[in-house]
Amino acid sequence: MKDRFSTHTQLELSRRDMFKGALGLAAVAATGGLAQQADAAESTTVRAYGVTTAQLTDWSVMQKSLGITMNYTGSNNDVGVYMQAVMQSGLGNSEDIFIFEGGTQNILGPHGAYLPIDVNQKELTLWSRTPDAWKHSGVVVGSDGKQWGTPVIGNADSFGYIASKIGVNPNGLDDVSWGMLLDSDKTRGRAAFDQTWNYSLPSAALYLKATGKAKIDNPGDPTGEEARAVVDFLVARKKAGQFRTLENSFEQQIQLLTNGEVDIINCWEPAAREANKKLGPNAVCYAYTVEGYYKWGHGAYIASQAASRGNLDNIYKVLNYFMDGEYRAYQARDRGYAGPNMDLGVAYAQAHNWSADQIAELKATQVKVDRKFQKPFVSTTTPSHADAIEDEWQRFLNA
Amino acid sequence: MMRNLTQRLNLGDGRWALPCFIGVWSLLVIAPLVVLIVFSFFQTQYFMTVYKPSLYTWNDLFSSGRFEVTLRTLRIALTVTLIDLAIGFPFALWLAKGKTSRTVQAIALALLTIPFFIDLSSRIIVWRPILDEHGLINNFLLATHIASAPQHWLLYTEWPVHFVMVISNFPMMVLPIYMAINVIDDTLIAACQDLGGSPFRVLRDIILPLSLPGILGGIVFTLGSALAAWVEPSMLGGGFVDVLSNSISSAYSALRVPMVAALSTFVVVLLALLLLILTLAMRRFVRFGEVFRSMKS
Repeated sequence: MKDRFSTHTQLELSRRDMFKGALGLAAVAATGGLAQQADAAESTTVRAYGVTTAQLTDWSVMQKSLGITMNYTGSNNDVGVYMQAVMQSGLGNSEDIFIFEGGTQNILGPHGAYLPIDVNQKELTLWSRTPDAWKHSGVVVGSDGKQWGTPVIGNADSFGYIASKIGVNPNGLDDVSWGMLLDSDKTRGRAAFDQTWNYSLPSAALYLKATGKAKIDNPGDPTGEEARAVVDFLVARKKAGQFRTLENSFEQQIQLLTNGEVDIINCWEPAAREANKKLGPNAVCYAYTVEGYYKWGHGAYIASQAASRGNLDNIYKVLNYFMDGEYRAYQARDRGYAGPNMDLGVAYAQAHNWSADQIAELKATQVKVDRKFQKPFVSTTTPSHADAIEDEWQRFLNA
Repeated sequence: MMRNLTQRLNLGDGRWALPCFIGVWSLLVIAPLVVLIVFSFFQTQYFMTVYKPSLYTWNDLFSSGRFEVTLRTLRIALTVTLIDLAIGFPFALWLAKGKTSRTVQAIALALLTIPFFIDLSSRIIVWRPILDEHGLINNFLLATHIASAPQHWLLYTEWPVHFVMVISNFPMMVLPIYMAINVIDDTLIAACQDLGGSPFRVLRDIILPLSLPGILGGIVFTLGSALAAWVEPSMLGGGFVDVLSNSISSAYSALRVPMVAALSTFVVVLLALLLLILTLAMRRFVRFGEVFRSMKS
């Protein structure tokens, strides 16, 4: 108890709860709960908690293919809310799989909330053919080097622009600098920037590093000093009138593009797709960039408590399914998201007689992702200096 | 009548009431507040709360610009409250004591309460296509040559945030004042007029003191709602109107619970100071005891 102030964290407190839970489970087992445990071992239901967009629009597709029923609870995509739920609410006591954007494994993995992935598990049949860019990325491998998750979906985010307004090639295939969004007179007062600190600051850091305007070691995980340099730059741009608005939602991204309020915006790719439904094909291009991308990905992590439930085979079958063609094809078709093994998605679509347009779109997604993933990228939901970065971001918002 | 009711209820001498109230209030309100204050002296490192007392979080509060967020929130909330009071009091007076028929009163009250049944976000978001660069107002201004270029200040500034918050909170101000004025006995007003009292004296000596509970209720409801506002600043402020709710949400996204606690504590302290100043200032003009005594008579 001598270091009771400095060493007690939420996780340690919640681990006590887990310990109490384990004692409770032992008591249940000793008093006849073993029969129930045996039932659990034969269960064909896998329970998952995670971001809503990782869901298939209809899980019965998976049920037909694997014979496993998915019981999915959608979570808020705010990392604070998610980690609070996993840590303090002890969700691992009821859930088998967590699905969230990469970064949480750096904290929740070493503290015992996630079970390390056994890449040799017999049901993980697609592991060896999954590209390293996906299976060894910072989404699923922890900062401790351990494999804490398997890849689910992902994309390389940049910005949408109206080519005719900013004077670049309208085919959308040229590399455009982030400077066009952040640092150009062509777009001054006609640019929108996302107001979320962990989405926008890394992209600006990437631009400053690539152009040599600031010395930043890892744009995805800047130190407090580096974050200050980035915010100093952004404050100057804000005061110069670069940003028409700092947007904060998917619907606003679409609205800003479709009503002509801005010419360039760092947004999600589906927002550019939605805008084009109204403005016409390729009216809004989603940028290939000079400097790199905000690469995000969702990983699937096994709750540590699931180790004793006896349904690990089924859990691994589901993780494997996330890397397989059926899930890939449906996610790309219904949400426009990429993921590991896009070629299997194309093969699935061809084998199941999807339309030529749908197959062409899947192939285009694969080409796009392959091209974008060759560039540097930034991504993490849990930067080491989150508190300092968040503080600096407040300075930007209040400048 | 009131005495008979009290006798029938047989409430006893009420000796249990104060300890009971203090006990429940301490448990439900004071204890969480104390926890909040204590948490503000911890800090967050890499998404973890470190339970080591320090002034680190309070230093951050003042060095990161969050201090300004609090002041801005208070400024906006007070401005909206004062505007709503300035518009709401005459409106409530007209509705309650003007020559309005019962039908007009019923329609006005229905119109005031209808917004409560519609989601706030839905009500706010419709302002965007009205106020944006190619919106209804800019189109009108350009078509009528009142303006030669789109007026960008109409959206994504403090102006639309104030404007729509005044509208959103108007019922909060009007309804308590209307209810207070509505129960003022008309014979009191008639007596004052019969004794030669001017309309101003009727307002100052009869209506204002007797409606003070409603005015205070309106101020509390409106100020409280305006302080907690996040929909209007988020949807119409364009990220340039950072208020407390947004700042707390941002801090929570990094699991900075101590910062959330410090922000909340700071607001509570500022509100307490504000209330103290208001009370001291009001004492020069209104004797609160007289207000409640007149209600009892």
